[in-house]
Amino acid sequence: MREMLLAYSFLAPAFIIIGLFGLFPLAFAAYESTLRGLNKIVGSYDGLGNYVKAVDNLIYIINFWLAVGLVYFAVSMIARAVQEHRQEQTNAMRWALPAALTAAGTALIARFVFILLPEMLLIPSKLRGQNNTQEAFRSLVVETWWLPKVQIALWIGVVFLAAGAVWALLINRQMPKDGRDRIYFMPFFNTGICLISGAALIWFTWTEINAAYAEALEEGVGLELWSQIVTISAGFLLLLLAWRLWESARDRSSNMGVALRLVGAVALMAGAWVLIAELPRVVAAGDEDWWNGLMATVFYVLGTVPIQLGLALILAALLFQKIRGQTLFRVLYFLPYVAPFVGTAAVFRIIFSNRPTAPLNSLLDLFGAEPLLWLSEPAGIIQMITGGKIDLGPILSGPSLALVAIMIYGTWTYVGFDTVIFLAGLGAIPNELYEVADIDGAGGWAQFRHVTLPLLSPTIYFLSLYAVIGTFKAFNHIFVLRQAAALGTTDTASIVIFQAFKRDTRYGYASALAILLLLIIMVITLVNNRIASRRVFYG
Amino acid sequence: MANEALAGRALRPSQTDPATRRAALNQAIIYTVLILGAAAAILPFLYTVSVSLMNLTEATGGRALPSTPQWTNYTEAWHDAQFSLYFMNSVKITLISVGGAVVFCALAAYAFAQMEFPGKSFLFTLLLSTLMLPEAITWVPNFITVSWLGRISPIPWINNWPSLTIPFMASAFGIFLLRQFFQQIPRELWDSAQIDGSGHFRYLITVVLPLSTAAVMTLVLFGFVGAWNALAWPILVTTSSDWRPISYGLLVFLDEAGALLHLQMAGAIITMLPIVVLYFFTQRHFIEGIATTGLKG
Repeated sequence: MREMLLAYSFLAPAFIIIGLFGLFPLAFAAYESTLRGLNKIVGSYDGLGNYVKAVDNLIYIINFWLAVGLVYFAVSMIARAVQEHRQEQTNAMRWALPAALTAAGTALIARFVFILLPEMLLIPSKLRGQNNTQEAFRSLVVETWWLPKVQIALWIGVVFLAAGAVWALLINRQMPKDGRDRIYFMPFFNTGICLISGAALIWFTWTEINAAYAEALEEGVGLELWSQIVTISAGFLLLLLAWRLWESARDRSSNMGVALRLVGAVALMAGAWVLIAELPRVVAAGDEDWWNGLMATVFYVLGTVPIQLGLALILAALLFQKIRGQTLFRVLYFLPYVAPFVGTAAVFRIIFSNRPTAPLNSLLDLFGAEPLLWLSEPAGIIQMITGGKIDLGPILSGPSLALVAIMIYGTWTYVGFDTVIFLAGLGAIPNELYEVADIDGAGGWAQFRHVTLPLLSPTIYFLSLYAVIGTFKAFNHIFVLRQAAALGTTDTASIVIFQAFKRDTRYGYASALAILLLLIIMVITLVNNRIASRRVFYG
Repeated sequence: MANEALAGRALRPSQTDPATRRAALNQAIIYTVLILGAAAAILPFLYTVSVSLMNLTEATGGRALPSTPQWTNYTEAWHDAQFSLYFMNSVKITLISVGGAVVFCALAAYAFAQMEFPGKSFLFTLLLSTLMLPEAITWVPNFITVSWLGRISPIPWINNWPSLTIPFMASAFGIFLLRQFFQQIPRELWDSAQIDGSGHFRYLITVVLPLSTAAVMTLVLFGFVGAWNALAWPILVTTSSDWRPISYGLLVFLDEAGALLHLQMAGAIITMLPIVVLYFFTQRHFIEGIATTGLKG
């Protein structure tokens, strides 16, 4: 008991800071994203309005499927726990109630936060002119804290949480020291959280859809909401089905497999057709800056991650031979990653400058080519290569030359980092495997292909996930390298969010975009984990 | 420790003459590629140094090397951009935030590594999940939180040290890093410390931390680099040069210097130099810290 309290007091400072500046922002951003907030004034409640502005009706579909996903997680977690409990003959069910109580308590605490937040945010607007003093502010904070509804919400949550925790601790006391079934608390707790948040999300989305409907009726315009929701969902479902069929076809006999693949191909085409027909309209109704930002981010990922990892793998494989000066090479490769980003970006701003005498343009001049605008060039590179006579549209014309220059900078900084991690991964491969391969007569390339690559796959997986997520978060160097003349073609998702916040002071809208970005990152991580669990070989 | 393992795999020995020649050719190709890579990595730095020593006409005229090095560029940039102020700001910010981070992360990491308490795995998962959050999602909420905290605390937070340091005084990354090291400390040490009548806190300070200087060093280095690189958050919470850290200072200077490329580059060198020097002295900690946490994270 004493150790427990001591442990909690050790954790307290770190968790207060991380909780306040790392976890609480999630709830805060979610709340803020439902407000109109402009110019530092807390705006009125707007429901999903900000999201609708950004991605139009897609947000209803996203929310719906998010809720479905949460329920699916809940069910699968319960199913797994129950299955395990049958096999192990343990008494899992007695954990269900305390876990449910704790989950409800957590949800009620979240509810308390959402009741307290709006009251607290109103304080600054209550104080105007003369009354706007530190003391008045503090007394209003205290007053808000002691509001009956805030206190009631807080104590309901605390009571539930405490009841659940005490109950769980009591069960834990009764159990033998080596009891296996104490692990069942978490699955039940997670299930409860998933179910509650899924239900809340569905309820929220449902009211929002109804409100949108009522508004549309009032204005006398038809609303294609439902047809859009159904078609787009159907499109994604068909794609999912195609993927599933393809997967299951892999380990079946030939005839069955071919049939499954055919059905899968049909589903794929139908799904793609529906989406191609329907998605552009939704995209066009959303925020152009945001979609352009996402497109730039995707270009950036596709243009940097494979090249970066490929170069790093080559360098690491070469460095890994017995090379003189290995440490020196490693130190030099790593330098671009360590040097402060603003400093190196400043250099690249000059290297990629549009002046005719700038380094790259003088190089072009040497070959008799015309100088390019580089960081100030908004035209897409494919558009430029094809001569710009045909308008290829935003996607086909590729990333702008300005974005390509930034991509080169990004690759330059991260190759060394990837090389170092690849080297560590290579060092972890047991030497005996190569000796065995040598005896079997495998040459250098065969060894690389059949020993090194499979054993390196966890590292490759980690690095690619890290690089993709890093791109979605990337801010510093793009912010330094972006030029007004590039007409925003270089603005990735994070930059768009930053501009919505700092330049336009649209607090609610920036929060909504940030939440969407988080969802994208979560989906990428999930998909990556699924693929990795199949493809990655963990020794 | 990784170095020996890395060098462990030798090229296969050659017996016959053509094989020797082929090996020599291989070596030549390998070195060429490696040297090309190294050149690509450091050329921009050399170019920066070169331009920072030019005069204005040379810098804009596309010359590769200065005719006579203009060392005064550095003093000029230093005075024009208040670099001494930015420098001190960054040093102060780094000291406060890294100092806090070491204390708080060490405490939490110790609890995770060596103590038993209910909810341990849950709290640890919760902690690691914050690593996935994009920084962008914290901008708006933290800005509001910080300005709000500034109004109830005795000192303002915006454009002052608390907003620049306190949010960074604990991080999931730091706790994770230290925990990895603390876990490797044998339990027997704790048992004997207990016999000597030492509690957890004394054990942490007198035994665990001295044994983990490498990890603490890595944490300090990363904190230093992170504070030096910080850009988005300082732009949001500083309103004047009073507390503007160096990266933001350089960015402002880049815009002010405009066409004065040589001064821009001198400013870039001034900004990069401390980190680069630090890196060259501690590169093993840096690289191995990245490699170990990267692989396991």
